[in-house]
Amino acid sequence: MRKAKLARRLGVAVAAVTAVALTLTGCNATGGGGTSADGVTDLKMIMQPGPEADAMSKVTAAYNKGPGVKDKIHVDVTQLSRADSFAKEATLMSTKSSNYDFYQTASYYIAQHAQYLEPLKLDASEYYTSSLDSLKVDGKQYGLPLDPSVHVIFYRTDLIKQMLQDKTTFEKISKEVLGKALEPKDPSTWDWDDYIASAAYFTQQYNPASPTKYGTELQAKNLVYNAMVWDDVLYNLGGSWLNSSGKPDLTSSQAEQAVNVYRTIYTKGMTSPDSDQAEFPETQAALSSGNAAFAVQWDAGYAQLNSASQSPKTAGKIGITRVPGAKHLSHVHTLAVGINKYGKHLPQARTFVAYLDSVPAMKTYVAAGGLASMPAALADQSSPDISALQGILKDGTYAEPNLPRAFDIYTALANDLSGAWVGQGSTTSALQKANADLAKLSGK
Amino acid sequence: MSTSTTDRVRIAPGPARQRGPRSGRTNRNPRAQGTARWVLSSPLILFLAVLVAYPIVNGVTSSLQNHTLLNPTPGWAGLSNYWEVLTDGSFWYSLVFTLGYTIVVTAFELVLGFALALFFDKAFPGKKVLLSALILPIMIAPALMGIMFRLMLSANIGVVPAALDAIGIHASLLSASSVIPMLVVLDIVQWTSFTFLIFHAALQSVPAELHEAAQLDRASKPRYVFSILLPLMMPTIFIAGFLRAIDGFRTFDVINVLTAGGPGIETTTLSIYVYKILAGGNFGLASAAAVLIALIMLPIIPFVIRRITKGATS
Amino acid sequence: MTQVAATTLRHRPKPKGWWRTAAVLVVALVINLPLLNAIFTSLKTDAAIGTSPFSVKGGFNFDHYAAVLGGSGYNFPGYLLNSAQLSIGTVILVMIVAIPASYAIVRTGFGGNWLLEAITSLRLVPAMFFAVPFFLIFSGLGIYDTVVGLILANTFMQLPLALLILCGTLRDVPAEVEEAAAIDGAGPYRSLFSVVLPLLAPGLVAVGILVFVFAWSDYLFAVILSSSGAVPVTVGAAFFVTSAGVQWGNLAAVTVISVIIPLCFAFIAQRYLVRGLSAGAIK
Repeated sequence: MRKAKLARRLGVAVAAVTAVALTLTGCNATGGGGTSADGVTDLKMIMQPGPEADAMSKVTAAYNKGPGVKDKIHVDVTQLSRADSFAKEATLMSTKSSNYDFYQTASYYIAQHAQYLEPLKLDASEYYTSSLDSLKVDGKQYGLPLDPSVHVIFYRTDLIKQMLQDKTTFEKISKEVLGKALEPKDPSTWDWDDYIASAAYFTQQYNPASPTKYGTELQAKNLVYNAMVWDDVLYNLGGSWLNSSGKPDLTSSQAEQAVNVYRTIYTKGMTSPDSDQAEFPETQAALSSGNAAFAVQWDAGYAQLNSASQSPKTAGKIGITRVPGAKHLSHVHTLAVGINKYGKHLPQARTFVAYLDSVPAMKTYVAAGGLASMPAALADQSSPDISALQGILKDGTYAEPNLPRAFDIYTALANDLSGAWVGQGSTTSALQKANADLAKLSGK
Repeated sequence: MSTSTTDRVRIAPGPARQRGPRSGRTNRNPRAQGTARWVLSSPLILFLAVLVAYPIVNGVTSSLQNHTLLNPTPGWAGLSNYWEVLTDGSFWYSLVFTLGYTIVVTAFELVLGFALALFFDKAFPGKKVLLSALILPIMIAPALMGIMFRLMLSANIGVVPAALDAIGIHASLLSASSVIPMLVVLDIVQWTSFTFLIFHAALQSVPAELHEAAQLDRASKPRYVFSILLPLMMPTIFIAGFLRAIDGFRTFDVINVLTAGGPGIETTTLSIYVYKILAGGNFGLASAAAVLIALIMLPIIPFVIRRITKGATS
Repeated sequence: MTQVAATTLRHRPKPKGWWRTAAVLVVALVINLPLLNAIFTSLKTDAAIGTSPFSVKGGFNFDHYAAVLGGSGYNFPGYLLNSAQLSIGTVILVMIVAIPASYAIVRTGFGGNWLLEAITSLRLVPAMFFAVPFFLIFSGLGIYDTVVGLILANTFMQLPLALLILCGTLRDVPAEVEEAAAIDGAGPYRSLFSVVLPLLAPGLVAVGILVFVFAWSDYLFAVILSSSGAVPVTVGAAFFVTSAGVQWGNLAAVTVISVIIPLCFAFIAQRYLVRGLSAGAIK
């Protein structure tokens, strides 16, 4: 009897293993694109999830049904989680993988990606020049510009209107917080002192009658994207990464002032104490829950904040304006698509890029929810955020130095400064460390 | 004869067997020497050869090269990557922080898991359902758990701050000063189920006579726990503690989602430290850091393994 | 004798321990707060989620579940299947490798002390160290982006855990039982399968559940070693973290769904594995 039981158990085990193995072999995916029986070449593209991937999927769907039939090309968009996409692409690239035919790249990463991408021939006249230039390495174009990202101030129009009529309280509070009496101003004319004073006005700790708990939500988490946001403060105060002779300039008085803007806002309680861990989603939540009155935020946040089904408290009451400062300049970076130099279907990849490199294709992309770095493609969009974007792209941006290790520099800035932003350690020593790291990473 | 032996099956080795002079050897089965030991170990050896030998060679080679994304054809870098890691203050901070974090959470989880398993050990209504409820937390992938924590603790749309506010506690959970204790609490909430599960399984194997003997004299319950049960469970405690410590040491998902290692480098564990290097495309440096971490922690392994596998000979 | 005593213990009339139930319930509620919050959030509308944690604007609905399981264009049923396959496959492969190996290590002293130590120390190395080499190996073998590849990677990760627990359990099974079987004429393989294995039942159950759960939860290897064909649930969930916002409701729904399968596995393992294996032990 025991023998039978043993045999039966073994039999079950073997059957189970066989079943699993059979189903698994059926799940094999071929690497990279392939050529199917009828001569159609399959191309694979990586995109980050969200509006970009959704829009690109619609573009590729239109292509596959349209010109793709004639070209015998079928393009598939694979999504890759935002958090890990560049780590994974780094792995793929360094092993010279041919799995994907197109990579997603960005202006802050292009210098590292360039040697794994094929130079592109684009119709330069159609794009914003700055977008094209930000994707060039050694004069060659390695990325086709897609979604530009800039910063804006989102503010509650109803609350700001109240503030503009409340001069006396505002002056009292600005004196308390900044030591000088300021008048309430429209956000489009703010400098950073106005920003701080207005944040204090909307903070219940200073203004018990404030409709919001805090004035703003600082994005102070240790992230490269938050270093990009902080750069706005630096550059709008007249500072920069490198001085006029090309040497690291992060120990300048403007840099110190820029860190102290963040430090003041955090340590004086004008933002939630949890904003030391805040980035894009937290700032969205602060505005949509009505706990903050305004914030510097990525322009991509407009759709959610203005939607009645996602943010009923702010829908229809969200104003957009440029970042505070004398010249109201914003950081800009551009997402892009590049051709994998080690892909197995380069001629077909070039054909598809040629299709993308056109106003109609980009218009489809924009209509499907993406953004383009192409004036003509954005032209017939009239929503406030795209209008703002167009204006900013035209004359409202600055550019950090185009260094090969730009991504590492942002990482180092976030590592070195995010403590000082929230009152940990001294501003001076944090900036000295950042400056030393910048020197090492820029080779200067 | 066999009946009493089956009752002795346990995860926790215990002192219930007769010990002879060649105590270590009573474990051996002389019939199994010879070819059998090789045949039985062949899957393991094959597995290790294919999946471990190559990566180690590859990784160590990479650590000795100038292997970055900017450098497709890496040149020899000697020990410069290792030097860079060793002279990086934030590496040492991460090491100390990770060790401290690991020790604290493991200690808490061992104590709480053991206490909970003890408390759970009696019969009471709803025990079966509650057992499933108690092991649910480990069924949630840490990557997802991190996002759920981020939602729960959000100052604006999170349940926990709102609930605390409602009862009058105006605490900021993720602020610069409270983020480290908060991470410890979150780890305890997430992983006490793990130690509980191991202790619960081990307690099932405690011989019933010991249980009964303790029941008869209620006043000596604490003595029962401390002088009889604890020594019996020592190897289990070691196993649970060791497993939890190794995983605590490698904590990545939850902390990365919540703080990304910030503010500054305050909550940067070693895994986050290595990950950031990798995300910057510097494979050589990341490999060197990984090798150094393994080397630094290596001495602890033999110590703990001997304790665990020595087990019953105490 | 032990069995008789145990039976008596169980049949003695006991006072209802409701207070114990209450205390354990409180603990269970506290540690399950994230899951409870996930359930609550997954049934709320986006508007309610974005307004406040207690808001239930728009009522409750299953929209997020519908979006996850079909509507959003992602293949979540496929991701769940991948996760299930890779977890079960990992458990099977770990058992195949670890059971005979632990027997060899404990009973025959194979590898002395250092083999177990070496394997355990592998778990100390940050997993990222193995990401690129595995990627290279699997691409070379043609198993990149397959469930088989993920099974191999996860088996590698969980072997130290399995070996440690099994060696510990095996140490306590007295060799006399096998010696008796040997006298009956059983060779080492036979004694392993029919005698030792049933005695290892609780250890096997624990290892099985833990390996399943850890393989199910893996994120890092899944990110590096899959792209579109073998995407498990953990990576699929990350698609809801977009550049235009985090879709909390959908993520909560994914969290809830992803708990069901490991829980079922734990049930099955508990009930049937123990019964099936220990049935062979009692003569």
